[in-house]
Amino acid sequence: MTEVHTASARKINSIVHIILIISAIAMLIPFIWMVLTSLKTTTEATQIPIRYLPETPSLRGYTEAIKQSAFSHYYINTIFTAFMKTAFPVIFSSMAAYAFARIRFPGGTFLFALIISVMMVPNPVFYTPQYMMMSDLGLVNTVTALWITSLISPFATFLLRQFFLTISKELEEAAVLDGCNPFQIYWHIMLPLVKSALVAIVIIQLQWSWNELQWPLIINSSPEKMTLSSGIATLVSMFGTDYPVLMAGAFMAVVPMIVLFFIFQKQFIEGIAFSAHKG
Amino acid sequence: MNSRSRYVWAYIMIAPTLLGTLIFWGWPVLQSILLGFQQSENFGLINHWVGFDNYVKLFSDEEFWQNLRNTLYYVVLFVPITLALSTFFAVLLNSKIKGLSIYRVIFFLPQVTMPAAAAMVWVVLFAQDFGLINHILGTRIAWLSNPNYAMFVLVIVGVWGAIGLNMLLILAGLQGIPKSLYEAAEIDGAKRMGKFRYITIPMLTPTLFFTSIILLIGATQIFDSIYLIIGKTNVALPAVRSLVYAYYQNTFVYFNPNYGAAIINVLLLINIILTGIQFALQKKWVIYD
Repeated sequence: MTEVHTASARKINSIVHIILIISAIAMLIPFIWMVLTSLKTTTEATQIPIRYLPETPSLRGYTEAIKQSAFSHYYINTIFTAFMKTAFPVIFSSMAAYAFARIRFPGGTFLFALIISVMMVPNPVFYTPQYMMMSDLGLVNTVTALWITSLISPFATFLLRQFFLTISKELEEAAVLDGCNPFQIYWHIMLPLVKSALVAIVIIQLQWSWNELQWPLIINSSPEKMTLSSGIATLVSMFGTDYPVLMAGAFMAVVPMIVLFFIFQKQFIEGIAFSAHKG
Repeated sequence: MNSRSRYVWAYIMIAPTLLGTLIFWGWPVLQSILLGFQQSENFGLINHWVGFDNYVKLFSDEEFWQNLRNTLYYVVLFVPITLALSTFFAVLLNSKIKGLSIYRVIFFLPQVTMPAAAAMVWVVLFAQDFGLINHILGTRIAWLSNPNYAMFVLVIVGVWGAIGLNMLLILAGLQGIPKSLYEAAEIDGAKRMGKFRYITIPMLTPTLFFTSIILLIGATQIFDSIYLIIGKTNVALPAVRSLVYAYYQNTFVYFNPNYGAAIINVLLLINIILTGIQFALQKKWVIYD
């Protein structure tokens, strides 16, 4: 009886493995193809019958993408924007989240609901008025316009409040007796306790702003002010069907986030899973 | 410390987030609603009140209805497929299996990949002549320019990008189910499928509810992949053009922010209704313990 049981369990196990391996390969195909194509010559990339591997891998795609486009600008703009759109929301959100979670004050529930309700609004609803605002301030086609509208994050506020709510009261009571003000309690006691949540939010914000397309596309049109995302989108019109150059550009745009992902994958994955669990 | 100065601290600490929300999001929402009822000159410099004119024009425009159908069609295909596959892989990865973390990483990788970059490789993969997909299938389908197939490409790309995150959320939900429930069921002689049907699925409904709302709201906003993969000159564009794409086109290509606002306000209303329906239906299928 037990033997039959383990035999069937083993069979199911190997079926599961086969399904997972095939699916994992399918998920990876775009990455593999991106790298292979980026190393091919232009003719090899569109050859019929299809060519899997480049004859002699060439870096022409990479040098061409860098030489012909404002790639260094894309990089600098993206990194700077991602930094601004991560540092500020994390600081502001954690402060607000602490106040909403741990201090009862008049209007607190209403104001929290107000901030959270923004999460339900589709982003494009904001874009035209934000564009007009940037236009009034003379910020259209500037790097500032890329991040100035995103210095706060309702999502991060919501998530961090969930984390602050789970911390036991005794921890802050001692600090209150010592005469700490709420900001000191937040800074010295509470913030270190939600470090893992902060790391998760840093990663999520970085990823969002790194990958965002629509707003950069709307607000900036000169190559020097573009991000990698909008810059890559314009490569298509510059290089048309020179696929090795396009793939090289695409690869260079995704590599930083992928490297970051591999370094922090534990925090990346557990941060998200953990936050979902709490929510 | 007295409660009054605690209040003051609370207001100081929420001030940046509150002000930012009101200035950059709250005000724009009101502006967007107003723009829908106005006709502007010079992109919002001078505004005339025109009542429902923009909406009358919108609702009598066949293209709008087509865009609305496209958007809903995408939602109807994308959300259930993503939810089903994410659940499927989450369940597989919830067992004690070798290489668990490698699979998690691989499935999550598309999530961290820039859509603009991924889109370009999908264009190459789905190319008619030299594309890998046609090569593997032994077909010669014009995936990207055939109106019958373009939507499927967008759904495949969307699902590819969304499985990782949703699988992870569902995996977290699965790991929150108490082991004792399964043990009790085993004593009662429950089989694998029985346990899945009567314990896993019901206990997972809150997670599935949460995931489906996020997926739905995201899916109604499809823009990136249409813009990047289909492109503005493609003959298949009318068959896939979404409301957000039409909003973008009308506002920033044709410079008619009022018509664009009308389109996007309709989407806002749709999202409110869809979320409302989900919350109403929640009582019918979501089980909270």
